[in-house]
Amino acid sequence: MAAVKINEIHKSDLPWIVEYDESKCIQCGKCTAVCSFNAIKPAVEYRKKTNSILEKDKLEKVLVIKQNISLDNYCHGCGMCANVCPNGAIKLIRNKDDKYSVAYRSQKADSFKKGGRSNLNTEGRTLDKIKVGRISQMTDPSLDAQRHTFELRTPFGRVLKADKLNFGVKDGNIIETTKLPPNRWIYPIIFGDMSIGAVSWRMWEAMAIATAYLNEVMGIPIRMCTGEGGIPTKLLKSKYVKYMILQIASGHFGWNRIIKAMPDMTEDPAGILIKIGQGAKPGDGGLLLANKVAKYVQEIRGVPKADLLSPPTHQGLYSIEESVQKMFLSMNAAFKFKVPVAIKVAASVTSVSVYNNLLRDPYNIVGGFFLDGLAAGTGAAHEISLNHTGHPITSKLRDCYLAAVHQGRQGEIPLFAGGGLGQTGSFAADAFKLICLGANGVFTGRMLMEIAGCVGSDTGRCNACNTGLCPAGIAAQNENLVKRLDVDKVAQNLVNYILATDIELKKLMAPIGCSSLPVGRSDALITVDKHISNRLDIQYAC
Amino acid sequence: MIKIKTLKNNNRMSTQELLQMIYKKIEEGHTDFEIEACGQHDIGGALWSKVEKPLYFRVTNPGQRVGAMAMDGTKIVVEGSAPADVGWLNSGAEIVVKGDAGDTAAHCAAGGKIFVAGRVGTRSGALMKHDPKFEPPQFWVLKNTGSFSFEFMGGGIAVVCGYDCEELNSVLGDRSCVGMVGGVVYVRGNVEGLSPSVEQVPLDKFDKDFLKSGMPEFLKEIDRLDLKNKLLDFSEWTKIIPIPKELKKKKLPVKDFIKNEWFSDGLFGDLVEDNGEVYGLAEEGKARLRKPEWDKNLCVGCDLCIKNCPQNAIKKESDNYVSEDEKCIGCGICSAVCPRKAWKMIVNR
Repeated sequence: MAAVKINEIHKSDLPWIVEYDESKCIQCGKCTAVCSFNAIKPAVEYRKKTNSILEKDKLEKVLVIKQNISLDNYCHGCGMCANVCPNGAIKLIRNKDDKYSVAYRSQKADSFKKGGRSNLNTEGRTLDKIKVGRISQMTDPSLDAQRHTFELRTPFGRVLKADKLNFGVKDGNIIETTKLPPNRWIYPIIFGDMSIGAVSWRMWEAMAIATAYLNEVMGIPIRMCTGEGGIPTKLLKSKYVKYMILQIASGHFGWNRIIKAMPDMTEDPAGILIKIGQGAKPGDGGLLLANKVAKYVQEIRGVPKADLLSPPTHQGLYSIEESVQKMFLSMNAAFKFKVPVAIKVAASVTSVSVYNNLLRDPYNIVGGFFLDGLAAGTGAAHEISLNHTGHPITSKLRDCYLAAVHQGRQGEIPLFAGGGLGQTGSFAADAFKLICLGANGVFTGRMLMEIAGCVGSDTGRCNACNTGLCPAGIAAQNENLVKRLDVDKVAQNLVNYILATDIELKKLMAPIGCSSLPVGRSDALITVDKHISNRLDIQYAC
Repeated sequence: MIKIKTLKNNNRMSTQELLQMIYKKIEEGHTDFEIEACGQHDIGGALWSKVEKPLYFRVTNPGQRVGAMAMDGTKIVVEGSAPADVGWLNSGAEIVVKGDAGDTAAHCAAGGKIFVAGRVGTRSGALMKHDPKFEPPQFWVLKNTGSFSFEFMGGGIAVVCGYDCEELNSVLGDRSCVGMVGGVVYVRGNVEGLSPSVEQVPLDKFDKDFLKSGMPEFLKEIDRLDLKNKLLDFSEWTKIIPIPKELKKKKLPVKDFIKNEWFSDGLFGDLVEDNGEVYGLAEEGKARLRKPEWDKNLCVGCDLCIKNCPQNAIKKESDNYVSEDEKCIGCGICSAVCPRKAWKMIVNR
């Protein structure tokens, strides 16, 4: 047997230790068969037959399950092996002394990449330190969440103040004297922008089905943002496109087919979202590694199988003013000024300057401002960006809202917030609190993944979306993995989760006596943290 | 008959003074009252007499809660309008308001009859109930109700005649019957903004008989017998009842929506081959992530692969070892136990 040398990778360097209990194993092979990372393997071990010191060289061969000690095929902790093991013979132990990322960098001379979530969110979440503290059944009579009717609707599109509305009177009837900017009243939750490519075709279709079903059957006007990876032409030409917010990002993937489909479209899309940046990795463009660029992805994006790196910025834009004139104007013109156009940026120290600039919008073409916080997820990123760049969502959303309030212009350009919502299992509460702090609505990708069966966690489990080996078939493009995902069930679960969230949002609106969305009702919130109280201008309580 | 004037020389009797006076008079055996009120509350409620005669109150200008908690054997007639909560928790009295009644009229009424000659305010009829040991409460309104009427109604009978309300979009106001789980609301005229948990249906014979027998009494009490024929034209009436839980519209399951409404070959049908089959974890055949490949040149024919394959997928055909796709899950045990690496695991495409 070859000698073990110190300057090699060892089991103790890997992020997860596979703990195998031979006495429980029946050697059914399921654990090794299911592992998409090829991180465990059946192996033959040599054992000494007896404990006698007299008999030498009496070895027997034993079949066991072993962990691969490799930089490439290593355990991500997804736990599928433990899920399929009939006897609980295998489990994964997190290695606290993991040296994998050091080994990776020192052996590959390359930056370490991962998908999913950052795993450095250890400071405690601001939103969890905020409670809904103004519940007085005497001063603000509470409503009945189950039985009263609520208006969970928010504007998407440019809102004009009453004095800017150009109304006239003709023959005794009120008429519009000049065209009003397009505006849609939508549900305050938007299915966040995950592209075809970043997620599998089955995942994307399940999200589209859930969106269509919630609208057509349940009457919940939820919208889905397509992400920037193209859109199937038949969706563009169908009635369901009216529930879709088309995304344009710096890669401009898929727009050829969108433009070609325009003459045959019977409905306008719900909106357009110009993606400038994303909260998980601000300053970076989209990143789709070649192993996920499947044939159909190549087709609808119009690219070969290669790492697809979107530029970090829209190459034609050099200033905020130009982005208004060029991007907003052109995207408004794309659908003849009938479709609201919004912009998504990563939350940043400078977000307020951007929002202030947009607020001046003299052409009434800025239809929404999406702010994405640092706890957001992503399909793939350099770990250094994921863990060390970004800005939390809560204070920046608040800054933008208050900046508008100070000019008396709140609500004119609706604010949408996202990034790590539901991280601690309380999606509806996170959404509600952000709405009270000034958001008109929220967007989420993370929750959709988790509802679909994502096994990743914020403490480092799996998060291998970048590898194309997603064991749940959500962020994979390999047919054998994608087909693990049950479209019907995922769509149903997405629908169920939104219905549950709808009840929970009402359970927070009802006690404060609001039957419509409490946008900016920060008086309803308290915090047990003095710094948060000062920063967000909400009441401190102890 | 006892006549009580509550305002003398600009001195107003308080509610408590008035009620104490009524208690005393009833105690003395009086049953017949005429009260010139001045906004005093709770007139006529929770009172009973030891003498075998009904209590009768004729009231003008009352305050809130006329007939609140009023009992069987009490009759109250308000000459004119009455403010909020007429007949709140009425348990059996007959209460007649000859003008309009304010908000939450008949709120929580569980017995007796309330007749209103005009309109009633918001949340009227809310939480009406019916205790099956007693007659159901009745609540008759000549004109219309405010919004949120009959909210959380649990039982009893309400009749809203919609008289003189032809121009209204809804004679029940907006968001009527939210959370209604029992009872019936008969209504004449337009209705809009009803809760989805109730249904508006035509009258049946029982309903018509009820209205035919009850209407003359109501109209007589409010002195409008002239409207009898007009209001008994059943073509303009409907009734609102809660939808029983078992009949509530079953939601179309998402899988049926996909089957009936969605693209027949899926959204990506023209881009990927996908028949919708869902692979189990560690399944045989095409669902496998990996499959074994045998190299004749390396094989020594020891049969260890056959002996160790958990799926019994490997067999020997003449001199060749074959792994059957429909049995193999791609675990790699054959490859691991082979002394010569004659089995190699490759990606299953």
